[in-house]
Amino acid sequence: MGWYHLFYQYNPDSAVWGNITWGHAVSRDLIHWFYLPFAMVPDQWYDTNGVWTGSATLLPDGQIMMLYTGDTNDSVQVQNLAYPANLSDPLLIDWIKYPGNPVLVPPTGIETDEFRDPTTGWVGPDGKWRITIGSRINETIGVSLVYQTTNFTTYELLEGFLHAVPGTGMWECVDFYPVAINGSQGLDTSANGPDIKHVLKASLDNTKVDYYALGTYDPVTDRWTPDNPKEDVGIGLRVDYGRYYASKTFYDQYKKRRILWGWINETDTEEDDLEKGWASVQTIPRAVLFDNKTGTNLLQWPVEEIESLRLNSTDFEEVLVEPGSVVPLDIGMAAQLDIFVEFETELISDSVVEEYGCSGGAVDRSSLGPFGILAIADQTLSELTPVFFRPVNSTDGTLKTYFCADETRSSKALDVFKQVYGSTVPVLEDEKLGMRVLVDHSIVESFAQGGRTVITSRIYPTEAIYGAARLFLFNNATSVNVKATLKIWELNSAFIRPFPFVDSN
Amino acid sequence: MSLRLKSVTTIVFFRKNGVVALKTPFYDLCLSSLNPQNPITDVKALASAMTNLVLSNATDTLSYIQELIKQGADPQLQKPLADCAELYIPVVKYNLPQAINALMRGRFGFTSYLLSDAGKQAQDCEKNFSGSSQSPLTERNKLLSNLCDVAVAILKLLQKG
Repeated sequence: MGWYHLFYQYNPDSAVWGNITWGHAVSRDLIHWFYLPFAMVPDQWYDTNGVWTGSATLLPDGQIMMLYTGDTNDSVQVQNLAYPANLSDPLLIDWIKYPGNPVLVPPTGIETDEFRDPTTGWVGPDGKWRITIGSRINETIGVSLVYQTTNFTTYELLEGFLHAVPGTGMWECVDFYPVAINGSQGLDTSANGPDIKHVLKASLDNTKVDYYALGTYDPVTDRWTPDNPKEDVGIGLRVDYGRYYASKTFYDQYKKRRILWGWINETDTEEDDLEKGWASVQTIPRAVLFDNKTGTNLLQWPVEEIESLRLNSTDFEEVLVEPGSVVPLDIGMAAQLDIFVEFETELISDSVVEEYGCSGGAVDRSSLGPFGILAIADQTLSELTPVFFRPVNSTDGTLKTYFCADETRSSKALDVFKQVYGSTVPVLEDEKLGMRVLVDHSIVESFAQGGRTVITSRIYPTEAIYGAARLFLFNNATSVNVKATLKIWELNSAFIRPFPFVDSN
Repeated sequence: MSLRLKSVTTIVFFRKNGVVALKTPFYDLCLSSLNPQNPITDVKALASAMTNLVLSNATDTLSYIQELIKQGADPQLQKPLADCAELYIPVVKYNLPQAINALMRGRFGFTSYLLSDAGKQAQDCEKNFSGSSQSPLTERNKLLSNLCDVAVAILKLLQKG
């Protein structure tokens, strides 16, 4: 049984970005992680200003080609190759940088500081590998360049772009991968065929938001076309509607799933980060699948191994929550939870045609919502983080359902960024409204309708902490009674720590 | 004092009889008698005035958006207008009041962050109106974005101390 490897951008010297080094951690189950020594440090002229983002390509013969962006001594962004010093070391502790680095420099017409984050490679029908690298043209057009290679040391830049979207600006951390249309498993990055769509994802440097779109990849022309140009990369669906950036996936060939990692950066001030001595976390890894039911979006779901952290569970059947009320849920410790909720609503007075979204937060009362849970709340509700649905009979005649997380009262602390996040979520006929919420002290990951819309929240409670954290149901709608059915697990800690090397004398 | 501003087209600073005034197409603000002996207070007062101006401008624009939605004159604009309202509401309700509070407590960096974010929301609102639909908010969005830039520039002076 092998190890999952995570390489992450890390500053060993400070809790603010800089001196970027490759941290390294390993796990058997994507949940319990062990820290290893740094995989790569900025010790060459071609990466002395930072060993930035990269991707691994696993070759059929077992080799691992690691391409990464180095920021050179002249602050030029170049792509470098690295590989394990010892492939038979299951921990892959030592890495060698290819002596001929850099293998790619910014091509003509591309700014020398807008050329970064090479993707995992995929094989085309001609047997050659391709990688794609995000950039921009004329400062405003987000693009992804395609390079072909047979050996990962020499490359040919293909004409044109895999895709380009005007107005989106620089594309960081581009990710490109296939999903099965009628499948229940992930696909190898090189997979292609009739029952497959390709996902193109970009992190927009201008807005610090991750976007994706579904489309078709033509392996002969190396072009990708979105299914819906109105929801193209950077102008349509977000990967996550909360505090989330620089995400990327990898293919887990043993359990045949596509796994998504995402970075939750801090919303407190840099001074706070320096004082506390650390910053940034990663979300719980998520499995990604195409949503066969809607055909227009992906589904994300926490990896099943999270269940290994489950302790005892509590069930609640059809708890009635009347308009304007808050119902406490008696579950013991409420700072580490895996919550499943399903809602049924009953109209008790005339609903109204109205326009509402997530933006006003949970205090805004509309006729059919908001209702949901209050996570990381304290007994007196001086701090609370509502995660909720807001169905709306829209003025265009349709029923829209918003799924939102409201951080505005999440903390009494003054200098933390407190947002209301959310979006509409597709709800099909005969579907009940349901959410799954992972609660972990200061992170809330909320999944609606099986993972169609996901919101990550970064909060800094000062009262609702440890034993003082509570969970409530709430209904702030004016015209509906809400009945909630819940299953709530307390989650154990993952005890993430340095790898327990044992001296072999 | 001089401020380096990006292409500000509709904001005019002028000094007349010891009064610094800020003239905009939608809102007039005058500060009376800035005290030349105590520069830091002056800059902080200016930052405070600017932040309040950003809030009134944003509040005014939000009401305008909601009025346009209510009138429903152009069905093609309903969705982009609703999306704009979604962007403006938290700015008016939460982020700008938080910025005003942070400024009062001397947290200039955080104030700047919130103002920058507000400016971005205005830009994102404008982006909702792509080629096919003509934005009724262009002047207002541009103004808010510019005002935020000015406020951030002033805050940089404060941060330098």
